[in-house]
Amino acid sequence: MNKFNSGSSDRGVILYIILLGIITIFSIRLFQMQIINQKEYDLKSAGNSIKAIEQIPFRGVFYDRNLNLLVDNIPAYTLRITPAYYDTSLNKILDAVLGFEEGMVSSILQKNRIYSKYVPIKIKRGIDFNVVSWLEENTNFLPGVDYVVEMQRGYPFGVMGSHLFGYTKEISPEQYKLEKDYYKPGDYVGHNGIEKAYEKELRGVKGYKYVLVDSKRKEIDRYKNGEADRESVKGKDLVLSIDGYAQKAAEEEMKGKRGAVVAIEPSSGEILALVSSPEYDLNQFSYVTTKEFLEKIYSDPADPLFNRATMSLKPPGSTFKILAALVALEMGVIDENTIINCGGGFTFGRFFKCHGSHGATNVVRAIEKSCNTFFYQLIYKIGLNNLKRYAMEFGFSRKTGIDIGEEAAGLITDESYYEKIYGKNWPRSILASLGIGQGEISVTPLQLAFFTALTANNGKSFKPHVVKGYLDNKNGKIVKYKFPEVKTSIRKDVFDIVKKGMYLVVNGNGTATHIRSNDFKIAGKTGTAQNPHGKDHALFIGFAPFENPKIAIAVVVENVGFGGTHAAPIAKKVIEAYLNKEINSNNNNSFSQLTQNEVMNAN
Amino acid sequence: MRIDYEFKDKVDLYVLIPTIILVLIGLISIYSSTFNNSTAENNFQRQFLFVLAAFMISMIIYFLPTNSFKFSSIPLYFLGIILLIAVLVVGKTVSGSKSWLAFGPIGFQPSEFMKIATILMLSYYLSRNNADIDSIKDIFVALLIGFIPVFLILLEPDMGTSIIFFFMILTILFYKGLSLLWIVVVISPACVALSAIFGTLPFIVSLVLCLTIIFLLSKDLFFTGSVIGINIAAGFLADFVFNILSPHQQDRIRSFIDPTSDPLKTGYNSIQAMVAVGSGGLFGKGFMKGNQTQLQYIPEQWTDFIFCTIGEEFGFVGSMFVIILFLILMHRILSNASSTKDEFLRLVQIGIFSVIFIHFFINVGMVIGLVPVIGVPLPFVSYGGSSLIANVIMISIVLNIYRSRKNFA
Repeated sequence: MNKFNSGSSDRGVILYIILLGIITIFSIRLFQMQIINQKEYDLKSAGNSIKAIEQIPFRGVFYDRNLNLLVDNIPAYTLRITPAYYDTSLNKILDAVLGFEEGMVSSILQKNRIYSKYVPIKIKRGIDFNVVSWLEENTNFLPGVDYVVEMQRGYPFGVMGSHLFGYTKEISPEQYKLEKDYYKPGDYVGHNGIEKAYEKELRGVKGYKYVLVDSKRKEIDRYKNGEADRESVKGKDLVLSIDGYAQKAAEEEMKGKRGAVVAIEPSSGEILALVSSPEYDLNQFSYVTTKEFLEKIYSDPADPLFNRATMSLKPPGSTFKILAALVALEMGVIDENTIINCGGGFTFGRFFKCHGSHGATNVVRAIEKSCNTFFYQLIYKIGLNNLKRYAMEFGFSRKTGIDIGEEAAGLITDESYYEKIYGKNWPRSILASLGIGQGEISVTPLQLAFFTALTANNGKSFKPHVVKGYLDNKNGKIVKYKFPEVKTSIRKDVFDIVKKGMYLVVNGNGTATHIRSNDFKIAGKTGTAQNPHGKDHALFIGFAPFENPKIAIAVVVENVGFGGTHAAPIAKKVIEAYLNKEINSNNNNSFSQLTQNEVMNAN
Repeated sequence: MRIDYEFKDKVDLYVLIPTIILVLIGLISIYSSTFNNSTAENNFQRQFLFVLAAFMISMIIYFLPTNSFKFSSIPLYFLGIILLIAVLVVGKTVSGSKSWLAFGPIGFQPSEFMKIATILMLSYYLSRNNADIDSIKDIFVALLIGFIPVFLILLEPDMGTSIIFFFMILTILFYKGLSLLWIVVVISPACVALSAIFGTLPFIVSLVLCLTIIFLLSKDLFFTGSVIGINIAAGFLADFVFNILSPHQQDRIRSFIDPTSDPLKTGYNSIQAMVAVGSGGLFGKGFMKGNQTQLQYIPEQWTDFIFCTIGEEFGFVGSMFVIILFLILMHRILSNASSTKDEFLRLVQIGIFSVIFIHFFINVGMVIGLVPVIGVPLPFVSYGGSSLIANVIMISIVLNIYRSRKNFA
């Protein structure tokens, strides 16, 4: 047909030509890749040999308001195994030394088989110092086993602060999904409290060290002599508004009790102490959390993980009379001299009991004696909606906006609330008990403390917060964070009248005269919240010194009985711890004086 | 020396020595590329056992009477077909293809051995005394012999092996003297089918192009018309087959269009392979010192990407050494074929040449970025028992024919 099918020898020649052609093309291509463009490929290949080693910065520490170190970083040891050099016959020995169940080391290694044999695998964090010295002694018999130092939180001041500080823990998969740009799985992040709320300030900025690795992933040199490296930036050292001494005293006093203590500096909204009891050991959470510990803490009926200071809702009891008095005086429905006669109770549909027969009572005396009859009647003069409006000015029935953690809003009812339930003609008798802080009314200890602070400072303060600012390590100055001001619409002379009553509670013939102090004048109000499920809750709110309030405090102790007996002494101890030291420091602690003067504003 | 002369007379050293060296280079490269990989730790030892097994099998094949190949072609071919069907029914799926038959701990790929059986069968059919490569009937039967296994292998689905078969059949027919017209007729459905995967427009363009050439060559409207039918059918069949391909195989085909478009997925292998080879330079980074290889930037490098290890660790010198070994080997098989007078044995050697050549072309071409990433091993070098043993058997057949060449001269 044509010359191509004339015989196979021609076809053989064509196959030769194809073979030689392909070999020639391949040779040229290889020459081009390996000789001419070698540099370009080598660069890409070298890029594959650059390893970025993350430099985790030191986490910021916490100082208290006197620059005492409350939370710092202490080294902890992590045991690692590099499988390439490791002898698996050591598994049993390591299981025993680390206190693992048998087979644990082997299963951890199995899980990490997908990674290169030259990448060390972390076996256990926070190992005992005994184990470290054992490792050191036997290093020759333990090929591929070593340890690294990582940082763990320490609490040198002896303050527990479980609900205040929070802890750091490996990032959860959910959180990691949200913040992939900064974190890597296995990174530590703040959980709860200040550690969580100020995570971005505390964590600092990760650094990177670039090294060249050889074909066995062994580091051989620094990349570009370290020019490309980025130094890590240490996290900010926070200066808390917390007073270490007051916090410690409050924790001491609350040991074995359920409840909360919150103390606030009235002029600034700075929280001086915040305790929820029972507490738990943060160390148990921050590194290795054992199963036993978790089971124990979750099954504890006292629920130590619950932050009572910001989350627990209780009726304020008689402490609420202070608010009722303020509102009534401000609205002008009574004045300082308005007299209400107490004959042991009040009848509105039914009889409401007072705990005594106080006779002719004005507002100051009503506070001093905690006269129920006076306040039963007052609420009808004020009206529920007005009460709620003013209550919200003081931070009740809404979140205070504290800078850490979760908080509950609480409840103050208004008329529409009852209209919804009972209709237009809701029983007005409900009001009577609300006037003395019982019934459908709930507040948090934090709200009570903030209310007290506002009262002490004549209706002016700042949003409650636990962090003042951070310490600028270059010049040792404190850079303050700004917090919004909070103001109420109540006149100063109204506060003066009510505070007179609070003064008499402690220093007159009131319900808390047993906490009278010679060093400074405490003013306050006791409260006992009825508890249908058991013993009453004891409450106390107060501030000191009376003339120039430096600390306002709220104490709630659950299920113990009368507020004057159980809550007031705790408040006194905390006030003492704070003011005595303050008095002392004014005389002989020049350091705190110095820093006070060097305070600098952030803006 | 007399003994030396006798040995040379019995054994074709130009075939034997390059084969041995390539197998040894394979062992060295597998050792290096699996050393740091915990999942492939034992592959070097296993390949070593495969080499021993291949050696023993090759001794048997070498000493077989040469005419036994002819007699065994038909039974071997049908046995192969049965195994290919069996693999579709009871086969083991490895990386998306159902291509393995397992007998206890020992598994093998029937498609590797089917290459040999098909070469023998096709050669047998085409070397009959009255075979006429210009008769439509003979061409049709030859194509049938060739494409039944291709069809079964496509069902696995194993693209790489199917492509090898296609070019192998074509080479044998071409060498036998298939006319240019028929070559176009055979290639055109493949071209059209491949274009169909890329879309409707390429499909129409290649269809018109192929048919124009066929019409110009045959000047026969009826003949051209019937080819149209076959081609259109092939186009639809291709689209159908493409859709039943496993996603990774589809990606491989797509990524060849633009390997940089998806550098972290399918194009990744191709780019990292080129980086490995290119960064090797003149003399390479040294045995066990290639960071691309040792840090495992190329997955499963010991199989289809073994040439990367050679390029990276032994450089241009090492790569060219391997290429020249292949050149010597293939050249020798080709020239042995030309000097074999027996038509059957000549075609068998051409078939063997084509199988090695196409593997070499696709595999090395893929590593240096000239051919799409198609999973075929580099003969004698890549890890894998079936492929190694099948290739060594083919070499043994070549050596066997050389040993008895005087009987068929």
